[in-house]
Amino acid sequence: MSLSLSRRHFLTAGAASTAIVGLGLTAGSASTSSGMPDWHIGYQTAPAEGFAPKDLRLVYGKAPKGLSGSLYRNGPAQFLYGEDDYASHWFDGDGMVQRVAIGDGRAVHSGKFVKTHKREFEQAHSMFAAPGFGTHGRPEFPVTGPDDVNAANTSVLMVNGELLALWEAGSAVSMDAETLATNGPKVWRDDLAAMPFLAHPKVEPDGTVWNLAIAGRRIGVYRIGVDGQLREFNLLDIGKAAYIHDWAMTDRHLVIMVQPWINEALRPPVVEGFEWRPEEGFQFLIVDKDDFSKRRWAQGPARAFYHTGAAWEDADGRIHIDAALYKEPVLGADGGAAQIRGEWSGRDGTFESNLTEIIIPRSGDAFYNETGLDGDFPQVDPRRHGLDRELTALVAGAAPTHPGATALSVHNWKTGKTDTFDFGRSRMVEEFLFVPKPGRTSERESWLVGPVINLKTKTTDICVFDVANVSDGPVCIWRADYAWPLGFHGTWA
Amino acid sequence: MTKIKTLSAALIAAALIAPVASASTLTVTLEDIKKTKGTVQLGVFDESGYETGEAVNGANVTIDEATETVTIEGLAPGFYGIKMFHDVNDDGEMNTNPFGMPTEPYAFSNNAKGRFGPAKWDAAKFEVTADGAVQTISIN
Repeated sequence: MSLSLSRRHFLTAGAASTAIVGLGLTAGSASTSSGMPDWHIGYQTAPAEGFAPKDLRLVYGKAPKGLSGSLYRNGPAQFLYGEDDYASHWFDGDGMVQRVAIGDGRAVHSGKFVKTHKREFEQAHSMFAAPGFGTHGRPEFPVTGPDDVNAANTSVLMVNGELLALWEAGSAVSMDAETLATNGPKVWRDDLAAMPFLAHPKVEPDGTVWNLAIAGRRIGVYRIGVDGQLREFNLLDIGKAAYIHDWAMTDRHLVIMVQPWINEALRPPVVEGFEWRPEEGFQFLIVDKDDFSKRRWAQGPARAFYHTGAAWEDADGRIHIDAALYKEPVLGADGGAAQIRGEWSGRDGTFESNLTEIIIPRSGDAFYNETGLDGDFPQVDPRRHGLDRELTALVAGAAPTHPGATALSVHNWKTGKTDTFDFGRSRMVEEFLFVPKPGRTSERESWLVGPVINLKTKTTDICVFDVANVSDGPVCIWRADYAWPLGFHGTWA
Repeated sequence: MTKIKTLSAALIAAALIAPVASASTLTVTLEDIKKTKGTVQLGVFDESGYETGEAVNGANVTIDEATETVTIEGLAPGFYGIKMFHDVNDDGEMNTNPFGMPTEPYAFSNNAKGRFGPAKWDAAKFEVTADGAVQTISIN
């Protein structure tokens, strides 16, 4: 199924660039006075002191009545020390948690770096020192455990009022949800200190949190109650050291998705240890949430992935998972090193993802229902996580002129239709989250809230869509006076 | 408040038979102890025993204060390294999480830190002279 084209809108690229496209000329990305391309605004180091709370301006539409809460997001925000000491990889920049508090028609932005051991050391010495995902690190930087190199830069989770900054190879880091002050690594239980806590926890509609700890072939499984207390921790063995960034959960089962992308070393720089073994296929370990001894495996054709939407089970007991799948891993191609220096070599086919419904029957092989939709950062209605549902929102519209995407899409699995709004080349669209409308229950009665970097105004714009009418464009836009760095994932609380 | 502790661990035979006249005293102060309970198990190693874990001497230090001092006597002058961990729950072992990372505090002489493993001998070694030696080690 092909991506339905969005209708043009006043928010898309202006007349000048439209004319260039009309003449058949390539609309290259503009440069800034610093000599950096305009899109580099998403990769600039944030102020060390963070962003003090500041009102955003409502520049379009009306603030939706009843939209109240905070968008928390996390992403790397330290890319440069001095003139040319660049981070070796985008994924190794120190995490900064951004908060946009929305209520009574106002939106207030604030942001703070997560005060990790790595950040405090590197700030004190004004240089990058810790080894990491794509960084060798300096020999004088001691590494006595995973939290010494924890960048705390990938996502956030709110449990029982406690804000947690997440990485994938170290502890969650506890933060104050109001001030964004860092409290320190989260210890769920004394014997689990310094255990990894994956950046993609799964939250049941009642607030119960499931998450994984990954160490090669060994997987730990956390179950955390709505009171924030650890209920249980179990271990699984998946047989090989597959790279696991995300996974899936239905109301009854956990699905550990073992892609044939292996990293036996798991030693910084992690990026150098990957091996693609497509002949091994894509394997799925299905575990009964209530009885870990009840497990089974299923297998499908080899694919690589970073992100799932969620999983659900139908009346026939088949498991469905929506995920952005790639024919092969894309990590090595782009690397994340060049972009933070303002360099970008463009796209090729290997970057294309395919929003796919993975279907795992009660027995036998898994098979794939591919939509042909090139996008990532899939999101679902949190009221239906693990349950049968229709909609997946995702970032789409790969920009030909700069890294990142320009569109927001909502795919309907029941109708097979995709509804898209494309902002045009002058925007970089980030992950959008479902925010249920208060007092409503239908999946379509949700807003989608997320940031978009506006390359024309050099600002971050917080956009709100109605999930039922995405192609109509935003319901409203709040604009900062500045842009903050591109982030990865967020939560609404 | 700092207290001088007597050695509770038995000295190993080599230390006992060493001539008293040539034996030196090592004074170790443990600082920044987070939990004032349990026992710090401390081993003193020479170069050959540092990697293999065969201590030439050692002490079990009962922890009552955030700072504790222990003296170890009968060391022949030479180079040594210290490894220690805080057995907070007094189960006699250095506890680890399910993936093998220590969950109880540990430290090395010179406050040396490892890089993906224990601190190396070159970083942890110090000299005990005829006048003895003093080490102040943070074990947080």
